[in-house]
Amino acid sequence: MSDVTPTERDASGRFVKTEADVTPITDDDTVHPMSILLFGWVEAKRTPAILLGGVLILSMVLIAADLSLAREATVPAAGLTGFYGLVGFVSVAAAILIAWLLSGLLRRREDFYGEGDTTPVRVEDEESGT
Amino acid sequence: MSFLAAVNPGFILIFAGLVGLFIPSRQIRHALMIVAPVVGIFGLALADMNLDLATARALGLDLVLYRVDSLNYLFGLAFLIAALLQAIYALHTDDRFHDGMAMTFAGTAISAVFAGDLMTLFIFWELTAISSVFLILKAQTKAAYNAAMRFLGLQILSGVMLLDGMVYVQKKTGTLDFTAFESVADPGANFILIAIAIKAAFPLLHNWMQASYPKATVVGTVALSAFTSTLGVLVAARLFPGVDMLIWIGALMAVFPIIFAVLVNNLRKVLAYGVNSQVGLMICAVGLADLALPSGQLALNGAVGLAFVHVIFTVLLFMATGAVLHRAGTIRASELGGLYKSMPFTAVFCLIGAASMAAVPFFSGYVAQTLILDSALQAGGMTVWLMLLFASAGVILHAGLKVPYRTFFGRDKGLRVAEAPFNMLFAMGLAALVTLAVGLPSFAGIGHGWLYDLLPYPSVARNQQLFNMAHILSQLQLLTLGVLAFLLLRRIGLYPAEKPGTVLDFDWTYRWAGYGLATWAGTVWTKAGPAVTRFFGSIGQAGFKRLENAFSPQGQLSRGGLNGDIAIWAAALLGAALLLSFVSVN
Repeated sequence: MSDVTPTERDASGRFVKTEADVTPITDDDTVHPMSILLFGWVEAKRTPAILLGGVLILSMVLIAADLSLAREATVPAAGLTGFYGLVGFVSVAAAILIAWLLSGLLRRREDFYGEGDTTPVRVEDEESGT
Repeated sequence: MSFLAAVNPGFILIFAGLVGLFIPSRQIRHALMIVAPVVGIFGLALADMNLDLATARALGLDLVLYRVDSLNYLFGLAFLIAALLQAIYALHTDDRFHDGMAMTFAGTAISAVFAGDLMTLFIFWELTAISSVFLILKAQTKAAYNAAMRFLGLQILSGVMLLDGMVYVQKKTGTLDFTAFESVADPGANFILIAIAIKAAFPLLHNWMQASYPKATVVGTVALSAFTSTLGVLVAARLFPGVDMLIWIGALMAVFPIIFAVLVNNLRKVLAYGVNSQVGLMICAVGLADLALPSGQLALNGAVGLAFVHVIFTVLLFMATGAVLHRAGTIRASELGGLYKSMPFTAVFCLIGAASMAAVPFFSGYVAQTLILDSALQAGGMTVWLMLLFASAGVILHAGLKVPYRTFFGRDKGLRVAEAPFNMLFAMGLAALVTLAVGLPSFAGIGHGWLYDLLPYPSVARNQQLFNMAHILSQLQLLTLGVLAFLLLRRIGLYPAEKPGTVLDFDWTYRWAGYGLATWAGTVWTKAGPAVTRFFGSIGQAGFKRLENAFSPQGQLSRGGLNGDIAIWAAALLGAALLLSFVSVN
């Protein structure tokens, strides 16, 4: 639970975990015990594949469940089987693809406006009375 | 008891905040900061509805300082809960100026919520701007200073617009009571709408939000996210319900931040775009709120309900990201990952906030957002409804996936930090509890029925069957297939990489182009200045010499007593005087 890495400030006032940045910590003593209980499954190698498969199966189940449902829709399209799923898929895909296209156009260097670091200097201010 | 019921709870918070500025003892000051909102909530519970509970007369105007009705009750309650959460969240700090200003800001916002006339609203509207700017300045970076100045300028401009509109309203109606405008063409309505547009961060006026929230202090961002734009929603709901223009502005506002939220690297900025989108949903609902129609009443219910839950889950999400910033020293997506190992409780609270904002069934966002989507569907505007569905699905991208995933479950960057301080966890736990309790089906006095009973049209809200198969299935489809699209596009490499950088938004036009123009003008003036000065100087000197030649003791008029020249000058001056007299008389 405790932080074993010494915390230091860099020139811009940010807290930097220099040691941790250089050497990934493998000592399990530094891991919060509750994290294993709550999220231990995240570490499994097959988790991403299982997650994708699970979401895919759930999507199909939800669309199949739509077949058994008689919707009363003001707008005809809203009564179609899987309509909301289609809208969800297309919306998220469109948002990602538009963002992907715009990323090259709109992204500039971090210091584009010449303001430097945006992290508040006083992120650890327990001892800073006024 | 009767005293508490007649005092605007905001005044209690302002008093506590101002007193807190002078209390050096950390324990006493923090106790005061926690007691004040608790007393405020107690007082609000005792207050009578639809009565002018506190009035005053100043400058020939009757001010209604405290009035509670079905529209502002939930806004005020949400603000008071947020003030309490913010006070608990800040317990680990020892900065009396910051504590005092944060509580004063909360107090001014709550006072504005319960204002019963436009002048009282204006006073507290301006005070929110002044008190909140210190929460950005206190971050003590150059970026924070610049953002604070832009924030202050825009917020003050918003107040000036409000005042300008009030003058027209007073002139036309002879009163400053809250009376909804029938259209934007009414005298003063356009100025007041601009004031709201700035406060609620309408498209093209939104950048103060994304600029200031990520740059404020950890606690300051929590306060800013709770009170600022939501106040704009309340005033819009009071003065412009059912105004068509707001439907389209709100729908656009709900949609476009989704794209930017995917692009930006700073996760507090991602959430700021998320707030922008949620406020867009509320503004759209206000536009749909033609109160003569059941769908309009449902829309107003949706706007008020979403405002309440939005304050709580937004505060929760900003508290979670603030805790990460507090411990890890960064909140950039590109520098974070694997923090669930160090901060599992914060991760759980963040997931609850994310599920609420994404309107996952049985979480608070669902019970409010569904009212807005249903009202849009009932109103029959297919395009608007599809835009709102897009926004609803898009939320899963930033709040549901990006913030929790990049922070806690992304590739482990080796950061090992302590879990958030207990007071932060406690505040997040309380917020999570509220947001969970409101999202459940009604049972044993809790659940969404409690929220619905406090909405402006409770019976209309209760008629909506939110927890039936059709509603739940629709929302689950929307979100699950949205997640599927994210996973597939990420797998094939079409999801934009998390990279450090600045993503240009509309503020580029006035920051880069504006600063560029100012710099260019300065350069031109520096170079052309001496030549221009010489030119005007030579003209001035020539004129002065002519006058001197005529009127000085050595000049033509004085030289050698009366002569031919003086006679000519005297005749010329007399003629000029006569001509001037003739012109002025006619």
